[in-house]
Amino acid sequence: MDQPAESSRPAGADALQDQVRSLAGREIVFDSEGFLVDTLQWTEEVARILAQESGLAVLTDTHWQVIRFLREYYLQNGRAPLNRQLKSGIGMSLLEIESLFPGGLKLGARRLAGLPNPKTCG
Amino acid sequence: MKKVRLIINGRAQQFIIDPKRVLLDLLREDLKLTGAKQSCDRKGQCGACTVIVNGKAVRSCLTKVSELDGAEVITVEGLGTLQSPHLIQEAFVLSGAIQCGYCTPGMIMATKALLDENPNPSVKEIKKALRHVLCRCTGYKKIIEAVQLAGRFLRKELTPGQVRPDPNGPKIGVNHPRPSAILKACGVAEFSADIKVEGAAELAVVHSSQAHARIKAIHTAVAEKMPGVIGIMTAKDVKGTNRLKFVVADRPVLCDTTVRYIGDPVASVLAETRGQAVAAAQAVEVAYEPLPVIKNPTEGMDKDAIQIHSDQPNLCYSQPQIRGDAETALAQSAFVVETDFSTQMNHQAPLEPETCVSYLEEEDEGEEPTLVVIGRSINIHFHLGMLQGALGYENMRYEEAYTGGQFGIKIDITSEGLAGAAALHFRRPVRYVPSLTESMYLSPKRHPFDMKVRLGADRQGKLTALTMDFVVDNGAYLSAGRAMVFRALYMLSGSYYIPAVKALGKLVYTNNPWGSAARGAGPPQANFALESAMDMLAEKIGMDPLEFRLINSLKPGQPKSTGRVVEQWPFPELVEAIHSHYNRAKKEAENFNRKGGPVRRGVGLGTGAFGISMSGDSANVAVELEPDGGLAVFAAAADPGEGNDSMFIQIAAHLMDLPMSKIRLVTRSTDRTTATGPAAGSRMTYMVGGAMVDAIQKLKSAMAEARATNYDQLKAAGKPSRYMGTKKNQDAAAIIDPATGLGPSFESQVHSIQMAEVEVNTGTGDVKVIKVTTAVDAGPVINPQNLEGQLEGGVDMGIGYALREEYVAGQTKDWITFRFPTIATACEMEHIIRETPRVKGTLGATGVGEMTMVPTAPAVINAIANACGARVRHLPATPDKVLAALGKA
Repeated sequence: MDQPAESSRPAGADALQDQVRSLAGREIVFDSEGFLVDTLQWTEEVARILAQESGLAVLTDTHWQVIRFLREYYLQNGRAPLNRQLKSGIGMSLLEIESLFPGGLKLGARRLAGLPNPKTCG
Repeated sequence: MKKVRLIINGRAQQFIIDPKRVLLDLLREDLKLTGAKQSCDRKGQCGACTVIVNGKAVRSCLTKVSELDGAEVITVEGLGTLQSPHLIQEAFVLSGAIQCGYCTPGMIMATKALLDENPNPSVKEIKKALRHVLCRCTGYKKIIEAVQLAGRFLRKELTPGQVRPDPNGPKIGVNHPRPSAILKACGVAEFSADIKVEGAAELAVVHSSQAHARIKAIHTAVAEKMPGVIGIMTAKDVKGTNRLKFVVADRPVLCDTTVRYIGDPVASVLAETRGQAVAAAQAVEVAYEPLPVIKNPTEGMDKDAIQIHSDQPNLCYSQPQIRGDAETALAQSAFVVETDFSTQMNHQAPLEPETCVSYLEEEDEGEEPTLVVIGRSINIHFHLGMLQGALGYENMRYEEAYTGGQFGIKIDITSEGLAGAAALHFRRPVRYVPSLTESMYLSPKRHPFDMKVRLGADRQGKLTALTMDFVVDNGAYLSAGRAMVFRALYMLSGSYYIPAVKALGKLVYTNNPWGSAARGAGPPQANFALESAMDMLAEKIGMDPLEFRLINSLKPGQPKSTGRVVEQWPFPELVEAIHSHYNRAKKEAENFNRKGGPVRRGVGLGTGAFGISMSGDSANVAVELEPDGGLAVFAAAADPGEGNDSMFIQIAAHLMDLPMSKIRLVTRSTDRTTATGPAAGSRMTYMVGGAMVDAIQKLKSAMAEARATNYDQLKAAGKPSRYMGTKKNQDAAAIIDPATGLGPSFESQVHSIQMAEVEVNTGTGDVKVIKVTTAVDAGPVINPQNLEGQLEGGVDMGIGYALREEYVAGQTKDWITFRFPTIATACEMEHIIRETPRVKGTLGATGVGEMTMVPTAPAVINAIANACGARVRHLPATPDKVLAALGKA
């Protein structure tokens, strides 16, 4: 079978594809930014592993409070909560919540909570 | 100044007015009568502003108020109301003649003037009376039918009640009027420019005059001192990343160091009036240091070419597709066609400009205000994320206004970044109403493709192999460019079983206008090459093109070129269904051509197997039973004119056994909706409709479990009233083998075969499309008028793509230079509709919106070849190319 010339394929092109990783004994699909594609593939163990990878050795009760709030809100509403909803739901300021997670709210908390990125084609 | 007395919608008023002022501006700006629309920069090209003056239809953008003293003016608002619509307005609603609705007020007023004079006009007279009003959505067929129906109403031959389907009758397969249609018919649906914003300042933008250059300096001192100017913004004033990241972060809100195409935004000016802002923008001077301009992909791939983006190679994406041994198969084939094709850059051409409104909404004390952006996005949650990153502001909301057509153009955002940045920077409500030319600058285009094709068949006429190398001009920014390549590959083998395939698609940055989604997005380009080659190969074999297509149809159990085996493929039945029409058309052409003379008639075919729901696709929709027994549906499901409102309401009413008036759609705001993906890829019915069905089933299960028949009983049983439904593609991940391109692709297909009948003047090269017949199978039809409306609009767009339309940067500036299809060029259309339920479809249905134009261009081009032997391989088939193909150039 013919193979494409190596030079015809720019480096990094595949980095924009979804990626499947074996985590916590399951095959889990991530998008190119490291977000779960299917929120139902999330488990607490997945969150712990992603946290460790991002430099959070331990998820404290406060971390879990944020993660659970985000998940419950997402499963009920199909989107991430607004900042004011998050603040009132958690009872902390936005800065405090952001400082809990490396990467802040979006790249940190939402990613660990398994909230998918809004989809597009591309 | 001059004093003018007018009677407007029955009310006498006097105005002391600048003699140069046109009626459209008086109506919209002073009287807030926003039914009359503006699309063509007040050049009289679009007719969306048509009103009646002294009984005659006039384009209000060309009509000076100073010349109207004593005149009686009727606008669409004066014709009828939501409570008591005029019979013409009812006729437009009941005929399915209203899609995006941007042209509707103009169409209705032109109809009123016609029917007042001639209550029973012929089609020719209708076309003449409506010739100044453009429509991009409908293909004009249902508009002509609406005028005829209005005539019957006015002649008292029929009443609306006799035409309107029983709202309490069956919900599925019935032409229940779209909920939004009457709002559009009465001129009260608010598009972005119609929204009244107190204290809004107006934005104008300085666009690059250079295709590729470094910005040395931006001189704003003169402009800053001009009347009404509030301030001027450049890239340094954008607080976030200043990059609108669709897939990669390459497109600036305002260019900082470099401009990469003519039209790139460089600075913006906010002023008290639009005129002041535009004048000041013209006074901003930008000093450029020219850089080498990459004019095409070939130059872009040259090893010595300048790299347009420092962190991305010009060849920014390529993907092969290899299945079997195509080279050997071709070498052993009895018949091979080898040639090249190309398609042009094109504008999607929605009538509405790229208008946007943005403002800061105050929150409780101590809270950061919310930046609200109102525009035409078809993916509000995704675009909100893009804006948050680019502008460096998290507390935002996107709201979708009524949208004057989109056809893929709003898969990405344009004016939203500029208006939002200005609202944040200046802390003023901002309205940005770009001109048509500016909207063309700002917005993405349909990608041009260059394609080299070899297609082989054996002695029995069975396809053996296909090779296709295609190069796509990406323009200056990536946007959804990669999707054009892989979507073309995923649908590469079209309707057919092709045992061996070898393809390679390349996407290359250039300094041309940037490309993105356009109806079909990739497959219309590649399918033009495949379907043209099919006819060329049939001719070489000596086989009838219809028979050739039938014997090569894919069958259930066989793979597409991606290797994905299909379980359903109801295409041969469509070929059978169109057979008698084909025979009729061929006979008529034969009889016509027997007369001799320079005009020759031909019949051509094109097919399409359009994929819906990419691997990895998912949708979610929430439904909530309300205390009054109604059902609210929550999903960010944009409806820029296709009829998604009908789809949701008819399905929900059907499943819940509720009146349609009890279904409430909540779709337009990021604050209240689920993030359910783009209104693109023809996925709304299949994916988002499917998610709604799932949500309703969950609600009904809960009600059954609680033995509840209403809200109170459900709540009393301790059950929630809100349920989330999902629909997921069978493949969780969008992953293909990078070396072969094989793997999962689209889950469902809509099938069609189209037949074009054309007349070619072999003396002038002019081509007239007489009729297009479409046989289509999109599964069970939810609303026949909506399906037909998509077919008709798509065919009209496909004919424009085949024969006329082209976006030439720097030359295409308005609807005349774009060659917008008019009612004069609209052709006869006939549809054959089959309804094979899809296994995973929504009530068996899949989608149809994009497929409709995929077969049209090759059908028209094949018909030209059939008529006179002229094989046009490079779109559009303008008269000079037809003559050249005849050897007469």
